[in-house]
Amino acid sequence: MSKPKVAIFDFACCEGCQLQIVNLEEELLDLISVVQPVTWREAMSEKDDDYDIALIEGSITRPEDEERLRAIRDRADILVALGACATIGGVNKLKNNFELDEVKRCVYGDAADMPHLDTAMTKGADEVVEVDCYVHGCPMDKKEFTHIVKSLALGKEPVIPDYPVCVECKQRGTICRYEYGEICLGVVTRAGCNAPCPSGGLWCFGCRGYAPEPNVQAARDVMEEYDLTVEDLQSKLKLFNSKQEPTNA
Amino acid sequence: MSCSCNSTSDKDLYVPEPATVLKSEPMTELERFLEFKLASGRELGHMPGQFVELSLPAYGEAPFSISSSPTKNGSFEMVVRQVGNVTSGIHRLQAGEKVGIRGPYGTSFPVEDGLRGQDIMFVCGGIGLVPVRSAIHYVLDNRDDYGDVKILFGCKSPAERLFTDELAAWEERDDVEVLQTVDKGDESWSGNVGVITTLLPKVHVNASNTAAIVCGPPVMYKFVIWDLYEMGLTADGIYVSLERRMKCGLGKCGHCQVNNIYVCQDGPVFNLGEIEEVREAIQ
Amino acid sequence: MGIRKLSTASLHAWVDRIIAGNRVIGIQAKDDKFAFAPLSAAGDLRLDHDVAYTPPKAFFQPAIETLVRYRGIEHESVVDDDPFVLFGVHPYDMVALNQMAEIWSRDNYDPHYMSRWEQATVVACDVQNVSENCFAGCMGTAHVKEGFDILLTKVGDSYLADYRTEKGEKLADLMEQSRDATDGDLRARREVWHANNRLLRRHELQMFPNNLPELLEKSYDHPVWEEMAERCFSCGSCNLCCPTCYCFDVQDDVEWDLQSGERKRAWDGCMLASFAGVAGGHNFRGDRADRYRHRYYRKGKYVPEMIGECACVGCGRCISACVANIANPVTVYNRLLEDE
Repeated sequence: MSKPKVAIFDFACCEGCQLQIVNLEEELLDLISVVQPVTWREAMSEKDDDYDIALIEGSITRPEDEERLRAIRDRADILVALGACATIGGVNKLKNNFELDEVKRCVYGDAADMPHLDTAMTKGADEVVEVDCYVHGCPMDKKEFTHIVKSLALGKEPVIPDYPVCVECKQRGTICRYEYGEICLGVVTRAGCNAPCPSGGLWCFGCRGYAPEPNVQAARDVMEEYDLTVEDLQSKLKLFNSKQEPTNA
Repeated sequence: MSCSCNSTSDKDLYVPEPATVLKSEPMTELERFLEFKLASGRELGHMPGQFVELSLPAYGEAPFSISSSPTKNGSFEMVVRQVGNVTSGIHRLQAGEKVGIRGPYGTSFPVEDGLRGQDIMFVCGGIGLVPVRSAIHYVLDNRDDYGDVKILFGCKSPAERLFTDELAAWEERDDVEVLQTVDKGDESWSGNVGVITTLLPKVHVNASNTAAIVCGPPVMYKFVIWDLYEMGLTADGIYVSLERRMKCGLGKCGHCQVNNIYVCQDGPVFNLGEIEEVREAIQ
Repeated sequence: MGIRKLSTASLHAWVDRIIAGNRVIGIQAKDDKFAFAPLSAAGDLRLDHDVAYTPPKAFFQPAIETLVRYRGIEHESVVDDDPFVLFGVHPYDMVALNQMAEIWSRDNYDPHYMSRWEQATVVACDVQNVSENCFAGCMGTAHVKEGFDILLTKVGDSYLADYRTEKGEKLADLMEQSRDATDGDLRARREVWHANNRLLRRHELQMFPNNLPELLEKSYDHPVWEEMAERCFSCGSCNLCCPTCYCFDVQDDVEWDLQSGERKRAWDGCMLASFAGVAGGHNFRGDRADRYRHRYYRKGKYVPEMIGECACVGCGRCISACVANIANPVTVYNRLLEDE
């Protein structure tokens, strides 16, 4: 079996997920033993439009981004969304809580009308094209990424958890943030990161997006019992899950 | 410290034994036919309706019904539908390659003793034919031991029909009655159109001496069972095979549990009388 | 076999001697809670703990463990046979461990769990401080009679160490300053047991646990399942923190050669949405209420029918762990009884 050719493309993002790939260090050699990178701006100078797998990093924020993404989709057999910006729109979706004009003025002031600063509502990759595989998280988890790469090299569907983060906190023996009366989004967020934030004493920010069928109504209902408000919950959900079904926080 | 204890591996029920792929060929768009032989040369020793855990290193392990009859010596057969990550690897297997096998596990259709002398009606929907085929061959290989044999087979479309050669051969026999239907026909199909229950009024059974063996998608059971009752069969005369997620096959992992029943150990084949009152069994 | 009495100072000296020659997992403080962890000094041991945050099952069925190592089609069994001492197990958790040993060894013997169980020396300890949700008294598990190698009971300022097994005796041999317990000591110990039976009742089950199967037999269609499940996150916390939940998932990890790796099992739970799903998409317990009911039936009916004991030992961890506050078995079972 010949090695699948991989191209990595970035859209609106901090490029931190690509950096996570670079951070694989020695494992990078293992990585290129199963796939062949052909286009990767952050790590190599060559470019090639002939690839099997496209890794998309970043969210889609301009009309020309959509065209570029569609062209990539056409060329790739498998399209992978890499990191929260690509999988769910991520932090960039905070913008969608405001009017576009307001956003532009806030950021660019008087220069807001310059044509190259044109912007649109933020979209995750799957709001534009079909996505075959998701590498969730901000940043993505290296271990999960290597699991996904190996799976793709084997022609197998990667196993991505479909349960909430609580499972991983319990597996690790991490004390629940609700024990301290704090909101933690782990109860509605997809696991797979091995819950590093709660184990470090932080609440789950929800960067991996909602678990399937999240019970957000239950989350609203329980706020009162912890002397918290639905607004507290919504403000936390906004960071990574702005304008996401099913809450529209 | 963990040790790799080869000496205890004969006691570790999670360690599969190697088997060689003798044949691997596509059947339909989704299903693949595979024939295996245990590397040790021993017979698998299953009965119709039982399953094995098939493992493919790096892909994982999944349960599959055995589709061949124990009357066929030297190898065993399976039909694998491509629906998950283990099956995607299985679909690429070629003759000569190796897999791991644990089992056989579970209960079987009582063709060996319980059903001798009775009329038997097989009612299969889609890939429900896969485990039942084992029982059909067993019965036909011991044809004189049984009364009338009927095979009712329904599929969504003509293209999804499995074992079409064998179905045709069974149709040819004058000691077997075969009725087939598809939910939705096409140009190639001149037979019955309709769900499997539309076949039931077309057969005449001696209800007091008939056993029905039923296997198909979850939605099928309730409807078929109602109609079998209408025909005069009782729960004691109906055998079903239940599909569940039998992850370990050993009655431990919990995935296949239906109320208090572990399908991998107490099933997958049940007499309907045993599970009629089990609320989650037939949906 | 025997019962020795030793002062708290002697107990500490004894524990340090055990640590010197054994791998010891002991109950210790973790933030403002308690957890079992490798013990390096007797001074870290907290026999006054209220409840271990994670149940001791984690040392017999780790959250993730390797079952089999494979290289191509060659598979070899991986069995952990490293002896260890588990120090400070509360009676209700001891009852749970006894149940687990029964379940993992019956029918299909599981060498992975059972090897650890056989290698373990378990030092149980009667409860000194009651956790906020413990109801072991109602479940008959405030006190335990068997399964441990040593049972420690604090009586006044001293401890009684009741060693029952060869493994227990081996540890007891390391005691330096101790004396045989007197009848008076044993009377005092019985008083501790009686008191604990009264004290470990933060919630009061209105029936005996052995009546649960019969009650549940009649309660399948009770509205409580739908009502409570409406608030369920399907997060599995009540399963995973339960000392008698042992369901698991199995997955293959593969090395970069794409040929060798490990088959691993990990804690799983029947409250997780896709637990009863099959390849192809059908989910046999797709509704929250069905999953919610399954857990109560497993604890109160299915497992008791299998091993003859209630699978809820009253540790109360699920009550504390449930963010939505719907996991209290006492609330649910009492409600069923009221509406009977």
